Amino acid sequence: MLGSLPSFARLTAELGKLPGVGSKTAARLAFHLLRASESDVTALAEALLEMKRKVGFCQRCFHVAEESFCRICRDPARDSRRLCIVQEPQDLLAIERSHAYSGLYHVLHGALSPLDGIGPEDLKLPQLWQRLEQEPLEEVLLATNFSVEGEATALYLAKLFKEKGVRVTRLAHGIPMGSDLEYIDTGTVQQAVAGRREL
Amino acid sequence: MRHVDYGEADRIVSLFTAEDGRQKGFARAARKSRKRFGSSLEPFSQVIVHWRTGRGSLWLLQETELLNSRTGLRTDLPRLALASYAVELVELLVEEAESHPLIFELLCCFLDYLAADGAVEVARLLFELRLVYLLGYIPHLLHCSECLKIFAAEPIRFDAARGGSLCLSCAGPSGFAIDLKTIGSLARTLNVNHRQFTDFKFGETTRHEAGRMLAQVLSLVLPRDPKSLKFLQQF
Repeated sequence: MLGSLPSFARLTAELGKLPGVGSKTAARLAFHLLRASESDVTALAEALLEMKRKVGFCQRCFHVAEESFCRICRDPARDSRRLCIVQEPQDLLAIERSHAYSGLYHVLHGALSPLDGIGPEDLKLPQLWQRLEQEPLEEVLLATNFSVEGEATALYLAKLFKEKGVRVTRLAHGIPMGSDLEYIDTGTVQQAVAGRREL
Repeated sequence: MRHVDYGEADRIVSLFTAEDGRQKGFARAARKSRKRFGSSLEPFSQVIVHWRTGRGSLWLLQETELLNSRTGLRTDLPRLALASYAVELVELLVEEAESHPLIFELLCCFLDYLAADGAVEVARLLFELRLVYLLGYIPHLLHCSECLKIFAAEPIRFDAARGGSLCLSCAGPSGFAIDLKTIGSLARTLNVNHRQFTDFKFGETTRHEAGRMLAQVLSLVLPRDPKSLKFLQQF
């Protein structure tokens, strides 16, 4: 049906490549852009190009940055003795939103996954060991996800950091704040009971 | 067995079931809502799955009840790596929708054993041996695979490509020398119930030779090298 509108079909195909966008959503977005003013569409196109041209990764922590170093790495007020390791830049942002942590970060851009054949060489680990040589650390906070892949990564890193004499901590996990126990899944309850703490 | 993210919040899950073998399921909103599936779709978990048929062969997962999350596997990297390897072997060797209740039991008991701090090297040997046996790939052990001579106490060789154990006159230079005691140990092991992983002791020679033998058998029957094998060898 869109064969007679090649430019529209092209846009739909490109939008359909975005994560979480199926063919129907792609068509809906394309129709939205068709109805939008030319200035709005130009602004969107320019924003996409500008972001692609300007945004890269911090040379130190591999968070997204528009300069050689990200805002966090450039901030002298951050506690450089503490390093938090996350899988993806979005995870870093989640921790930053909490305002509970004031150290530096290292973004791995993935996690170890035996089933997918993703090993240590596929992550930003050589860069992490290079940082360790230059930056003395007191504590490493492992904030990888609580999936099998995230746990595998945390185990691997914990072993290596302990061998280097660095204190290793892991994010706590259990019952979310404000939730009712009866609605929590069994696995989370099991973990919460196993990781209970004294009051 | 594993899952891949699909779209904004959904997941496609690979399942291994006692009655229906390997299946793929679609878990709508599994990443967004923790209420419906929680952590039950994580690899190595044992769950009761409520599902209905959808379009094609994909099961539409409605609800899950977690029976065993095997959290012990998450505390030790070599065990986690071995569990991943075992799951991948089953994925590679068992056809989709083919019922294999004994292999299901084998995998469950193997994961339970590992999660409870079981010995990694022995567990791997037992799992590989029993898996090739249950799938019908077990090579000839106590007799020559070509002349069928039953071995007495004598030197023998092993070549999976030629069917298994070989007497010296049939073998020629092919395969590798293997101690008959190793072959005997493996044959006796096959008489023990496939669910049992405790109380096995293998000497170093047996472990080494059996490992080499099973690697040769698996390389013949696997469609490709398991991705998890490289990872396993690192830990």
